[in-house]
Parts: sequence; structure tokens; C-alpha cells
Amino acid sequence: MTSTARRATREALAVSARDLTKTYGRGDAQVHALRGIDLDLVRGRFTAIMGPSGSGKSTLMHCLAGLDQASGGTVTVAGTELGSLDDDALTVFRREHVGFVFQAFNLLPMLTALQNILLPLELGGRRVDEETRERAHALAETLGVADRLDHRPAELSGGQQQRVAIARALVTGPDLLFADEPTGNLDSATSAEVLEHLRRSARELGRTVVMVTHDRDAAAYADDVVTMRDGRIA
Amino acid sequence: MRTVLLASLRTHLRRYVAAAVAVVVGVAFVVVVGVLTAGARAGLMDGFGAPYRGADHVVVADPGVRPPRGPSCCPDTLDVAAAIALVDRLGDDASGLGRVLLPMQVGDERGSTTVGPIAASEELRWQELTAGRFPAGDGEAVVHVWDATALDIAVGDRIRVGADATELAVVGLVNSPSTESQASVYVAWAQYLHWREHPLFHIGKIAVRGDVGPVPEGAVARTAEEHVTEGLAGLSNDTDAYALMGVLFAAVALVVAGLVVANTFAILFAQRMRDFALLRCVGATRRQVLGSVRREALAVGALASLIGVPVGGGLGYGLIALVNAVAPTTPMGVPGLPVPWLLAGFAVGTLVTAVASWLPTRGVVRVSPLAALRPESAVDARTATGRSRLALAASGLVVGTVLLGVAIARRDTMVMVAGGAAFFGGVLLLGPVVVPRMVRVAGALLGPAGRLATENAVRNPRRTATTTAALLIGVTLTTAVLTGLATYGAALDETTNRNHPVDVALGSTAAPLPADLLDQVRGTTGVERAIAVHGAVARVDGLAHPIPVVSAPDAAHVARDGGGFARVEPGTIRLDLGSFRDLGIEPGDRVAVRVGDRRVELRVISLSGWGNAGLVAPEDLARLVDTPEPRAVWVRTAPDADPLRLVDDLTGLAAGAGAGVEDQLQARAVQQRELDVLTWSVLGLLGVSVAIALVGIGNTLGLSVLERAREHAMLRALGLTRRQLRRMLAAEAALMAVVATLLGTTIGVAFAWVTHETLIKQALTRATLQIPWPSLGAVVLVAALAGVLASVVPARRAARVTPAAGLTHD
Repeated sequence: MTSTARRATREALAVSARDLTKTYGRGDAQVHALRGIDLDLVRGRFTAIMGPSGSGKSTLMHCLAGLDQASGGTVTVAGTELGSLDDDALTVFRREHVGFVFQAFNLLPMLTALQNILLPLELGGRRVDEETRERAHALAETLGVADRLDHRPAELSGGQQQRVAIARALVTGPDLLFADEPTGNLDSATSAEVLEHLRRSARELGRTVVMVTHDRDAAAYADDVVTMRDGRIA
Repeated sequence: MRTVLLASLRTHLRRYVAAAVAVVVGVAFVVVVGVLTAGARAGLMDGFGAPYRGADHVVVADPGVRPPRGPSCCPDTLDVAAAIALVDRLGDDASGLGRVLLPMQVGDERGSTTVGPIAASEELRWQELTAGRFPAGDGEAVVHVWDATALDIAVGDRIRVGADATELAVVGLVNSPSTESQASVYVAWAQYLHWREHPLFHIGKIAVRGDVGPVPEGAVARTAEEHVTEGLAGLSNDTDAYALMGVLFAAVALVVAGLVVANTFAILFAQRMRDFALLRCVGATRRQVLGSVRREALAVGALASLIGVPVGGGLGYGLIALVNAVAPTTPMGVPGLPVPWLLAGFAVGTLVTAVASWLPTRGVVRVSPLAALRPESAVDARTATGRSRLALAASGLVVGTVLLGVAIARRDTMVMVAGGAAFFGGVLLLGPVVVPRMVRVAGALLGPAGRLATENAVRNPRRTATTTAALLIGVTLTTAVLTGLATYGAALDETTNRNHPVDVALGSTAAPLPADLLDQVRGTTGVERAIAVHGAVARVDGLAHPIPVVSAPDAAHVARDGGGFARVEPGTIRLDLGSFRDLGIEPGDRVAVRVGDRRVELRVISLSGWGNAGLVAPEDLARLVDTPEPRAVWVRTAPDADPLRLVDDLTGLAAGAGAGVEDQLQARAVQQRELDVLTWSVLGLLGVSVAIALVGIGNTLGLSVLERAREHAMLRALGLTRRQLRRMLAAEAALMAVVATLLGTTIGVAFAWVTHETLIKQALTRATLQIPWPSLGAVVLVAALAGVLASVVPARRAARVTPAAGLTHD
């Protein structure tokens, strides 16, 4: 762990995991995906989690993001201990504090780009007023998809789709932005653009960005790199 | 390919469950109809043949002889004297069959009963003794067990029968199958002949053991076998007509099942396109792939049909047992297995599945091997609506509308059916265009919360259209039937109200009614309003007995026709001629009406519905009597009155006042019950189709949920709670159900209107279309709720997906 993180006050920590374990199955078939992880992520930094396939990096991210419940240990995000939340509370927590960018773009095919961006607000039952609409437009402007907002995902290129997905992740103003192999399906030029946007989200918007990747070039954009091997931080 | 076929079946069988359920229900429906028809026929056969079981010949009236020789009540039966002579001649070898309706007194209860003869020889007796013994001679009788139970008669009791109240000792109880010769009381032949002068006495047939010998003039002898076969043919025609109706409903259910099957295969094959492409990549020919999926469809159809046959058989035999237990008066035989029906059910189920899967399987061959090599794309079943489809739909609508117009103008049923079919076909073809638009409109009402549900419901227009079409068929027919029967019922009511304007009339020709009777009647439970009608007892030319002649200016207060029947023009007298026996007058006659020595001459107008009083104008009454006295009380009953109890109560009151009661309530109640039974039977039969369609909605949703698993996971990751996800899917199902129901209700009402114009108006000229809004509202509501219910299982499964599943990429 970096010395910065150790010195940081509790308030400066966006994510804190202690003795995190995750097992699947039981008996002989038991798989230890995470074997006791201690990790602190500082607010406003861009962290890459790296490791080979099966190293547990995706599982770690799922547990940190509240997508999956850990088998043991604690995860604290923005001062909230995730293990204490039931499914509904966890869902609402994700909605308010966490944004996601997936490898396979994951936009709803029947909604336009703008509708996709506004989706998290709608799910939270928030009224989409002029202000939020403007924020969405501003985000789209920043990400360079402002002229594609009325198009459906099928009419967008891979890079455009991923930038729409980033806009969607940022629209709620989340504390944390998780990206799982965000460049997995993109060519190198487009990848560079997307990674640059993620870095700017941390530097300029002050978001804590966590990215899972197995690509060294992608990890180079991050401030910190955490490498995983066999369920442990290497 | 066999390995692939078996592996596919193993892997995907669970996804075929809903489609299989639809086929099972359809096949079971067919088999149930078959078993019930066979049961009804067996029941009829048991009953019809019973009186001839020990006989060799049957003597009946020769239908060719004109004029017929029977008594005036029943001209087509045997000449009574000749029949009696024949039975006398043949003695124990003959069994006369007939019936006479006679008054009966059991204890203090008076009523009437049917009395029939019992054969002298045991071999010809078709009644089964359940207690006591058969009558040995005059003065003894056996009673049918049903009547014995109803009237509380036991062996050893005495009953009085006939105008002279002949006393009979009940020596036994019998059971007898329902035939035209069935009676409530059976007596020895000689005793039966005691009533030979009664106007309703007749001898229909004579069953004879051995040779008949010379046959009386005007009669013919046939072998018993010939007679039974011929009679059964007539009865079978009736059961066959019912079977045909049952088959029609089963056909509707099967069509709906076919739509569900077609949709299932279309969705499953769309999801498996990549597998098919892969098969093509590794060297399977188009023909091989196609053959494999077609055999798969055939296997599903055969398996489902195989399950449907025993399910239907079990249900059918169960229903027969139930009918026999609940309604012993309509006995059904327990038939042998109706093998042709079972085979037909199996064949039809398999065929429907095969045909329904034909179009979806054709799509399978279009897949190119390259599809397997491309990166996985989302399943996109969106297909453009072809121009030819639109053209066909438009021509169906136009031709259908024209034909329906022609049907109305020419009152032609066949044209109407053809027009309806063409129009409905057009609507179904237009489904992929119309239904999504309607879903959007309906979805807009749900607000932004329903946006996702709406978008999901319209993303596959054809899938949505097929799903709703299945429900559309059932709802259209249900609505048409509800509206049609409401119209018919209202027309019938209107006719009844006109013919029977007064529910209950209390009247007397002896003394005037006591003053407090009206108040007593008004105080009786079930009486809504009552009026006293004033008049005098008069002699009318042509009527044997004096009758009350009254004037009722305030009849509107109680009359169901608004009192029109009682607004009598001066110079006329209105008589309910049906209430009199031995009529010597006809409508249009001028008759003298006398009260004491006063006399007016009035013209007779025949109407019906208020009993044996004559209605005259107030001024004519004033010419007959100075101070009219209360002669009748007319009652209007409350809608929720219990007819039997009310009539009982009023009869008690009337008896105390020396008056009699005439009521229309029971006739009305019977008519209403018949209509209710008809309505509920049809609804029950259509309910099967609606149930299948709802299975279809659940099915479509369930299969769609499978392909949207990633999407749902992502939505969960983005912050959709489980409950929101379930609600979203419920809203999607409800949208489809509601749109199908609304469309179906509209078309159903339109069809009912056409039927009304074409058919009902012809039969009942005063019929006006009645739209049963509350029932139709209930249909929409039930359909929406059922849609939500259909979403429960798929929604639960969908909600089980973990948010993390949306992120893993395999």
C-alpha cells in the first residue's frame, strides 16, 4: 500500500477493506476467490486493479462496489459499512454513491443515449429537471457525445457507447466510479480516449475511480496500481 | 444430428414447459369433450333402451296414418281402446307404456304427479326396486326415489291420487332411468286404466314379449332392437350437437395454444441462433439443422399430447362422477374409453405443435455460418413488417367489413361468420403494427416509472403481437358472448315484462278483499310495492264463471311494462285469455258484461299477464258499479326477493282472505337461471382459452427475461431494487394483457353489434344492443390482474439475478 494511503485520515479514504474474503461453493469444490484483502483507496485518485485471469480482481471490485456480498471481513465505502446493508439498502447505496462502466458497454438497446444517461436518476425516482438535463448535456459535451444524444446504442460506435456509459456513471455525481475492463472491446485509439476521460474524472471532477484491467497500457493511466495474484494483493 | 437433437431436448426442455402446458390443456379439452359426449350417450342409451330390454317387439302408432288416432292431448300415441284391447289379449307378455298427470295429496300437501303403469311380468319391468316390493294389484303403488325423498314419502305411507283422491298404499320405492316413459308413481296396469277418461291419459307404446299377432289398425309393430336404434339416432343427434359445440370451443383453445407454441419456438430459436450458426460452421447442412429443430418441435408436441390425453381422460371421468353425484336427475353413463377421441386429441395436439413451429423453424435456416464467428450481438428479433403482410391485413379488414355489412343487410349468418373471420384475421396480421402503438399509449399513463416496462414490451413487435393475439381471441369471444347474451336477456326481459306486467296477483271472486290485506302484503319480505285494484264481480258472456272486472288507473306503480297494459280504451275489456279454461270468446268479440242488473257491451282485447280479472276503463266500471270494492292486490317484487318463499308467504296471506294467487315469479326465475347457466357455461368454456393465453404471457415474459438477464443485472447494478425490477416486469405483462383486453373488448362489442343486427333482431324485434359495462370492466380488470399474476414466476426468477452478473463477461 502506498505511504500516502497510510497517512491519510479516515475522512480522506473513499474505500476501505479489512480482511476481505470471498469463497464460492463448498467442500472440495470450494474456491477461494479472495483470501484476506486489506485495501485503502484515497479519495480523488485513479486506481487500477491488475492481475491475470482468475486472480480475483473482478471479485474484489464487485465486493468493493457492493455488487456482491463478501464472505468475511468488512468493506467501508464513503463511511458506510456495506455488510450492514440489506439488498434494498445496498441497491439504494449503489444508486447514490457508485457509478459503473462495463466492458460490454451495457446500454439499454431500446433507449436513446440521453435516456440511457438519465436512467440512474430515473431509477432513483428523481425528477429529471432542467438542471439535471443540463448536467447530462455538459457531461456529454465533455465526453464528446453531445451530438449523438438522440441516437440509440445500435447507431453508436463502440467508443461512443462507452463514453455514453461513462456519462451515465457520472451523472449522479457518485463518490466512486468503478470500471470493469472498460477498454476490453475497443481499439487502441478509442481506448486512449476512454482512459483519458476516466483520468479526468478523477483529476478534474474529484471522483475516486477504480478500474479493473489486465492491460498494462491501460493501467499506466492510473495514479496507483494494485496487483492481484491468487486472491491476494501481490 | 441425433446427438444434437437429444442434447437440445435435454437442455431446453424446461423452456418448453409453458408451451407444453398450453398443448396439454388444449388436448385435454378435446378428450374431456369426447369422454363427456360418450358418457352422455351411454346415459341416454341406458335410459332409452330400458323399457324394451325384455321385449321382442314394440307396438307404436303408425306415423303415416292421418288423422292420428291418439287422444286429444297426445295425438301421436296409440288409440287408447285398441291399445288396451291388445294388452288384454297378450296378458303377461305385454307392457303398456304411458303416463298421466294427476293431482296428488300427500298428508296435507297438495300437488300433482305423473303416474305410469308397471308391467305385469317381471321380465318386462324396467323399474329397479330399491325398497319394499312391486304393487300386487289395485290400491298399491311404488314411488320414484327422487319424489319419495322430495315429498318425504316412505314405504307404508298412503297417498291420494286423481280427482277422486284414490287412496294408494306405497308398497315400494323404485329407481327408473330417465326416458319418455318415466313417471313419479307407478301402479299396476289395471289401476292405471282407472284414469283412462282423464284428458291427459295416453298409451305411447306397448313392449311385447314374443309375437304380437294381429296389430291394431293405425299401429305398427317393430322389433325392439329396431325401435331402440332408431330412437337413439335421434337422441344422438342432440348429443352430437353438444359435442360439436364443445369441439368448437376446444378448437379455439387449440388455436390459442398454437399461438403460444409458435411464440415459444420463435423466441427460443432466436436465442439459439448462435448455436445453429456454430452447427453450420462445423459442417451441418441446412437440411440437417432444419430437420433437427423440426424433430425437436415434433417431440415436444407428441410428449405434451401424450400427457394431455390421460389428463383429459381423468378429468372427463371425474366430471361424469361429479355430475352423477351432484345432479342425479341427469344421469350419465360411464362409457368405455372413447378411443377415437383419444387418438384425435393426441393427433391434433401433435399437429398443432408441428404447424405452429413451422414458421419459426424456417427462420433457422436463414442463419449464416458466419454469425457464429462474429462477436456476440444482442438477440434482436426485430423484423420489419412486410408490405405483403400489411397488404394482406388491409384486405382482410376491408373484405371483412364489407362482408359484415352485407351480412347485416341480408341477415345472412354464413356471410357474417366469414366476414368476422376475415376482419379478425386482418386485425391479427396488423398486430405487430397496432399493438406496440397501443402499448405505448397505455404505457404513457404509467408515467416515467412505466417507461422501461413500455419500452421492453414493444422492443419485439411481433413477439408482443403474437402474445397479445392469444389473449385477444379469448377476450373478443368472451366480450361478444357477454354482450350478445346481455342483449338477448334484455330483449327476453322486455318481452316478459310486456307479457307478464304484474309479478304476483292476489284476487278473489267470492267476497271483496279485506281492507288490511294490502298492508299485510306490503309488509311481506320481498314485496317492493303493492296496490289494491278495485272493481266488481261480473258475468261475462262466453265465460262459464263470474270474474272480477277491475280498473287500475295506478297500475304504473307496480307494472313492469310501465302500466301500459292497464290503460284501457273505453268500450273495451282486456282479458288474459290464457287464464281461462273452456273459452267461449275470442279477441274482437263484443260481449255483454253484467254486474247485478247493470250491463255494458264491450269489445274483447286479448293481452296477458295479470290473471283472471277483466280490465276495463274507469268510466265503464262506473257504469257497472257505484262503489268498486278491492278485488285484487297487485304486487311488484324486490329484485332480490326469493320467489319460492315470497309466493309461499303471499299464498298464506291470500288463503286467509279467501283469495287465490297467480304469479310469474317462478317462470321468470327459471328463465333467468337458464340464461345464467348458458352464460356461465360459455364463459367457462372460453375461460380455458383465456387461461392458455395467460400462460402464454407468462411464457413470453419468462423467455424474454432469460435473454435480458445481463440487462437486468446491469439495471440492478445501477440501482434498481429487486422490487422495482419485479414491478417493471409485472407492468410489462399487465400492459400486454390490458392492451389485448381493450382491443378484444372493442372488437367483441362490435361483433356483438353485428350479430345483434344480423341475428337477434330477426328473432326479437324489440331487442336493443345492451353493453354490459360492469361485466366488461370486470373482464379488463381480471385480465390485467391475471397478466400481473402471469409475471410472478418470471419476475421472481429475474429478480434472483445478482448485480455482479451484469459485469462478468463470458
